[in-house]
Amino acid sequence: MIEIKMSVIPKETIEVIAQTIGITNLSSDVALALAPDLEYRIREIMQESIKCMRHSMRTFLTADDVDTALALRNLEPLYGFASNDPLRFKRAAGHKDLFYIDDKDVDIKDVVEAALPKVPLDTSITSHWLAIEGVQPAIPENAPVEAPSEIRKTEYKEDALPVDVKLPVKHIITMELQLYYEKIIELCLNKPGSITFRRALVTLTTDSGLHPLVPYFTRFVADEVSRSLNNINILFSLMRLMRSLLQNPHIHIELYLHQLMPPIITCIVAQTIGNRLSDNHWELRDFSANLVALICKRFGHMYHNLQPRVTKTFLHSFLDPTKALPQHYGAIKGIAALGSRLVRLLILPNIEPYLHLLEPEMQLEKQKNEIKRQEAWQVYGALLCAVGQTMHEKVKTFSSLLSPPIRATSRGDGKGMTVKSIKHKASSVNLMLQPQYARRKMAADGGRSALVPMNSMSVDNMQGSTSGFSNMMGVSNSNIAMSSSSVRQLSNENTARREVEGQQWKEASSSILAQAWKDEIDAGQLLQPLSELFGESLFSFLPTHATSVFL
Amino acid sequence: MDEDEILGYVTAYLKKKGFKQTEKVFQEEFQQNKSSSSSNSILEPDIANHLLAFSQLENGPARYHNGYSRLRTWTYSSLDLYRHELLRVLYPVFIHCFMDLVAKGHIQEARNFFNTFREDHEMMHLRDLQKLEGVLSPTHLKEMEFAHSLRQSKFNIKICEYSYELLLQHLHSTQSTTILGIINEHINFQVTSGQPSLISDDPEAVTLTGSSQEAANQTNQKEIHWGLLEDSLEERLEKAGALLSDSEKGDGEAKEGENDESKKRSTEVGKQGGSVKKIKKDKGGSATGKSAKPEANTVSAAPRVKPELPLPIIPTEVEHSILDDLRNRVQLSSAALPSVSFYTFINTHNSLSCSSISHDGSLVAGGFSDSSLKVWDMAKLGQQPSTSLSQGENDASQNEQMLGKSGEKRQYTLFQGHSGPVYAASFSPLGDFLLSSSADSTIRLWSTKLDANLVCYKGHNYPVWDVQFSPAGHYFASSSHDRTARIWSVDRIRPLRIMAGHLSDVDCVQWHVNCNYIATGSSDKTVRLWDVQSGECVRVFVGHRGMILSLAMSPDGRYMASGDEDGTIMMWDLSSGRCVTPLVGHTSCVWSLAFSSEGAILASGSADCTVKLWDVNTSTKVSRIEEKNGNTNNRLRSLKTLTTKSTPVNALRFSRRNLLFAAGALAKNA
Repeated sequence: MIEIKMSVIPKETIEVIAQTIGITNLSSDVALALAPDLEYRIREIMQESIKCMRHSMRTFLTADDVDTALALRNLEPLYGFASNDPLRFKRAAGHKDLFYIDDKDVDIKDVVEAALPKVPLDTSITSHWLAIEGVQPAIPENAPVEAPSEIRKTEYKEDALPVDVKLPVKHIITMELQLYYEKIIELCLNKPGSITFRRALVTLTTDSGLHPLVPYFTRFVADEVSRSLNNINILFSLMRLMRSLLQNPHIHIELYLHQLMPPIITCIVAQTIGNRLSDNHWELRDFSANLVALICKRFGHMYHNLQPRVTKTFLHSFLDPTKALPQHYGAIKGIAALGSRLVRLLILPNIEPYLHLLEPEMQLEKQKNEIKRQEAWQVYGALLCAVGQTMHEKVKTFSSLLSPPIRATSRGDGKGMTVKSIKHKASSVNLMLQPQYARRKMAADGGRSALVPMNSMSVDNMQGSTSGFSNMMGVSNSNIAMSSSSVRQLSNENTARREVEGQQWKEASSSILAQAWKDEIDAGQLLQPLSELFGESLFSFLPTHATSVFL
Repeated sequence: MDEDEILGYVTAYLKKKGFKQTEKVFQEEFQQNKSSSSSNSILEPDIANHLLAFSQLENGPARYHNGYSRLRTWTYSSLDLYRHELLRVLYPVFIHCFMDLVAKGHIQEARNFFNTFREDHEMMHLRDLQKLEGVLSPTHLKEMEFAHSLRQSKFNIKICEYSYELLLQHLHSTQSTTILGIINEHINFQVTSGQPSLISDDPEAVTLTGSSQEAANQTNQKEIHWGLLEDSLEERLEKAGALLSDSEKGDGEAKEGENDESKKRSTEVGKQGGSVKKIKKDKGGSATGKSAKPEANTVSAAPRVKPELPLPIIPTEVEHSILDDLRNRVQLSSAALPSVSFYTFINTHNSLSCSSISHDGSLVAGGFSDSSLKVWDMAKLGQQPSTSLSQGENDASQNEQMLGKSGEKRQYTLFQGHSGPVYAASFSPLGDFLLSSSADSTIRLWSTKLDANLVCYKGHNYPVWDVQFSPAGHYFASSSHDRTARIWSVDRIRPLRIMAGHLSDVDCVQWHVNCNYIATGSSDKTVRLWDVQSGECVRVFVGHRGMILSLAMSPDGRYMASGDEDGTIMMWDLSSGRCVTPLVGHTSCVWSLAFSSEGAILASGSADCTVKLWDVNTSTKVSRIEEKNGNTNNRLRSLKTLTTKSTPVNALRFSRRNLLFAAGALAKNA
């Protein structure tokens, strides 16, 4: 017979309860009869508890409420659960809706011997203006809601009426803010990697009442950057701090940009940052470059000379051959972060002489210093990356022949499958354009079915550029195809010579890429010699870290 | 109709009822009839049907399930025009079916039935369902107050003639005698001629008031004098307004300096900048206010009534200061929003159970679940932390203070006396007395001047949920878990009046501005208005879907606002007893409501950590026009939502000068 379940409380519960009060021989009939009543009583008590909770102006139930409800019914309260905090329940493993209170065993000896806990703080009241004539002032006591829209409104106003924001004549910082500032500074300098610092950064991004501290922060960053150029950790945390402040929608940080920019740019194009051997200052340069890009993006339209000045600084250090390679690296990164247009305008025209300059540095024979050589490769990677991205975007704009899935995977994270499909597509497109070349390419493909994923980008780009140009400028089309095929031939020969097939492939195609771009400017005049030049230089040195940068 | 079948039913019935003789005779006669002729045994179909229905009646709990589900399907497939009216019938039928099943002991079937159709009603009646869910035996039904009241009283449902006809026809044609029985027994139809009512119209259709609809209607027909008191200070001010001119201005400004003491409590200079600005605006506001008074003052338009209670006399100096406040009041409107000063309780460890702010905002009281009552003097509080800025000056006084309190620096006055959580506190209008009510079923009167307990009022038998001083002082009202509200005067330890009538706990109480009425909100989801002099209930306001947590009366005495635990606020017209408009916006309990001093703005504080400001003027005006058009779907306009930093808002108070004070405890996990 199927046992009829009368209540959500199983009869086993009743039996257990009975056992705890010393009744061992409870018949199951009794248990079954009691279960519904127990459920009813529990519900009744809970409803009363909820009433008590409401009258205590709370929205969560505490053990106190249950006790009060029990008292209302003249029942004995529950002992041992006195706490004003909600109880923490844990889910029992393997059960969906079974919870228990995580009640740890405590050794009485430990409790007795432990030092007295801190006396809890006494209740007190603070007061603040929640609103002044209906407008919420941006002070730390108020929640940072609606503020973004508020700011936008004032911005609009500023457009119409030039004077709206007045700088306070005198800065007076409250105790709380002072403490906050000191805490942040301390965290920034002493515990840059800690979780607390990360949390502090979050408050920096969201808190609405920080405006009075901004000048202090900028000053601090400027001072600290110049002082601790050799400590990369501090620099990094300073840049993070800056980024958090920049992201805070409640702060008018643009007022302090003139103070902000120099330290950030320093972090990009400084000659030496940290210990050159052990520290990864490249990463810091990347981070800071992105920061500058962020600033230019956000405030560029308000301060028209901001971006030109920044780019001028970058270009200056990029074109100065006396500067160290890390500085070049930073400059390239900085320009690249500002967008492909600037890469096209500033880097590409100079790329050929620059490569000539860089080439000897990268070669084992000419540059014996290991560090310098590595730096050169980093620079090369940055250059490649910048050009590649530009190409990629260019391709995107010419993507009349490119179908969406290709674009989706073209960011270089495609898996082997997509790579293949792209290649397939590429080859099919090429098939239409240049049957002969395509056949050769197919043959090459056949040998490299398991290429590294990053090839997808270059292959895609190549394919895109060829197809794109085929549309845009039919004249140069054949040129590209020619050059690419010639390079390919070259590379094929190299393949025969060398074992590292995939990488060569990539380098070969990226060089094509660079030329394909150049083609746009130089109408393909320099292509052939350059490609040969590039090809030679590329194939002769293929260190692994260069490829990793490209990734 | 199979004759034998009927025979079987009849004999079964007779057997069951123990009519042995009759059964025997019946059997004999039947045999005879059968043998004599079969022609006259053709029963009338009607009788047969009834017999059949009867047989169904006997076949147990399934008929409830079937009957209800049939009615439900029919209702859902009925015409759109009438559906919503018919849907209202479903809920009472549903719960009574359930209770019938339980009463007859078919617990398992009752459960099944309940769970099958529960979803239909969850949206409208979730709380009731939760209460009923636990009912699992006939004894529970008898014990449970809610079930009891459901059984005792009838649901009132407004329905148009045609829908009513449709319903009856359906029930007859399907022979749903069970359902018909339930409907007859528990539903009271108010059949109206003409078109069916609008969907938005009164959800009160299915709320119990504990009395028949006629009685409730009658209650709501009683005359009430919602006008303001004769010779009130406002009135005097207006009369004097013409006489006072320049001298009053200077006077007012001088007073302002004093009164702004409370504003100086802010420690930060930045804040003070804000308050200084505020003061300037105050002046501007009051100046414009004066000029705009003739047309803007709604209060003056209200009729005048005589006080029914002997009211205390206000001392002249107090009167002067109040008059000054009134003169310097900022005129609020949808364009001029109030400034809000927020008092945050910190380190409460979730033990703050109520808070209250005195009329001038200078005193803040907090009731705690550890039975203590703490009062902060905000004017004094402002001076202490100044030590952090100018250490030298205040050192001496600080030391004295610390010595005076035996080395313990306590910022508040601690009132101890209760033996249970303190659920409410209320300052007298002049701020010299404080009332508190507690779970220990007592109310205590404290003097803020002497820092001592003066009286303990015992009368309630259960926790006292709320206590409120009357606007004139001297009298106060309390409400309790024992389902009564009581009126007291401070000089007597026994209540003057006991208001009984609510079907569940009386959760909150509020005085009408003219002191002749009190309003009470209850867990039975109704708000009632009581005549203080006679102790009679004069209005029942039905419409809330949860327990009522807060009430506020408009200063012109015409409207009342009530907030419930779902976050809905309803605005009521006292004279008609109808809801002007529901205010939807809060997502959690509305703990507190307050009208601005001239009644243009309603502020609401909620557990969702917001203070909302509502435009009252437009809504009430619009509603009067729209009432005539029969279109009542207008909404009070929400003017502004002020969000606190994870602090539920427990208390609100507009000062006489229209500065809004709010208080709440910082909740870390909110």
